[in-house]
Amino acid sequence: MSTLSRDQIRAMMAEVLVAQGKQMPGDDQANLEEIGFRSLDFSELALRVEDEIDEELNFDAPQLRQIATVSDVLDFLEQLQAA
Amino acid sequence: MSDTNEPIGAATVVVVSGGSRGLGLAIVSDILASGASVAAFARTLTPELTALASAHPDRVHVASVDATDRHAVAAFLKAAEARLGPIDALVNNAAVGQDSLHVHTSPDDIARIIETNLTAPLLLARAVLRRILAKGNRGRIVMVTSVCAQRGYSGLVAYSATKGGLDSAMRTLAREMHGRALVNSVAPGFFASEMSSVLGQTQLDTITRRTPSGRLVEPENIVPIVHTLLFDDTNLNGQVITVDGGASI
Repeated sequence: MSTLSRDQIRAMMAEVLVAQGKQMPGDDQANLEEIGFRSLDFSELALRVEDEIDEELNFDAPQLRQIATVSDVLDFLEQLQAA
Repeated sequence: MSDTNEPIGAATVVVVSGGSRGLGLAIVSDILASGASVAAFARTLTPELTALASAHPDRVHVASVDATDRHAVAAFLKAAEARLGPIDALVNNAAVGQDSLHVHTSPDDIARIIETNLTAPLLLARAVLRRILAKGNRGRIVMVTSVCAQRGYSGLVAYSATKGGLDSAMRTLAREMHGRALVNSVAPGFFASEMSSVLGQTQLDTITRRTPSGRLVEPENIVPIVHTLLFDDTNLNGQVITVDGGASI
């Protein structure tokens, strides 16, 4: 399966935020609540990544609840691709 | 037998699925305390259930059985009847939980949840009712479902579907058995432990805050309801009894 790089995922995350009139922060330590990136936004991003790599990335909600920063989002999606 | 208007008697030999821990174990203990016999199975036997079996060898039959293995379940029922006498009641309790958004739950996981929480209980109810009818007896069936069948909770789509399906089947069975069996559901709210352990603390706090009684459900709250449905003459039939501290009102 092909995988997306961290930068590619970051760009897709920016697309999700911009589509809602929000901005992608420059700092990966930015808090998701503060930038308005909600759990369903993560779902949308994960589904976009799935479309690109043509592979399902399934996961349980407790893993999702650990995500608090932009960096966490990127880390988690990298981990899911590597799994 | 089916023409009688006499109340269906108290259960004497009860099958309990998922009887090794939590609510299932509490139900097994209550049945024993009531003087009835119990045939309990679970995928993995716990020391607690094994101890009950050792303490009451004449009234307890236990085995490690996967509820989705229909041949193993059939063999268990046969062995239980040989040891305890005719089965006349069932508590359909075994289930697996879920905590994943539907869009991120794999098709295999959805199939597994449906097989364990809906198909297996339907087949178990079928098997028990066939034994009851074949012997000309009457009996009682209790489905342990969930408040999730009535209210929407994120992360529980497949789980909720199975519990709602079981409630629907319960109502139809209650009518279909027409005097030969009382069939009801007990629908607990979220337990403070067990399956709720997969929920985040924030979710549990929110559910607790929204519960008028101010506390989450404990197995001890459910056991008296199951007891009544198994042993008392209430004429309850085809009903879902929700025990959730009023969270769903």
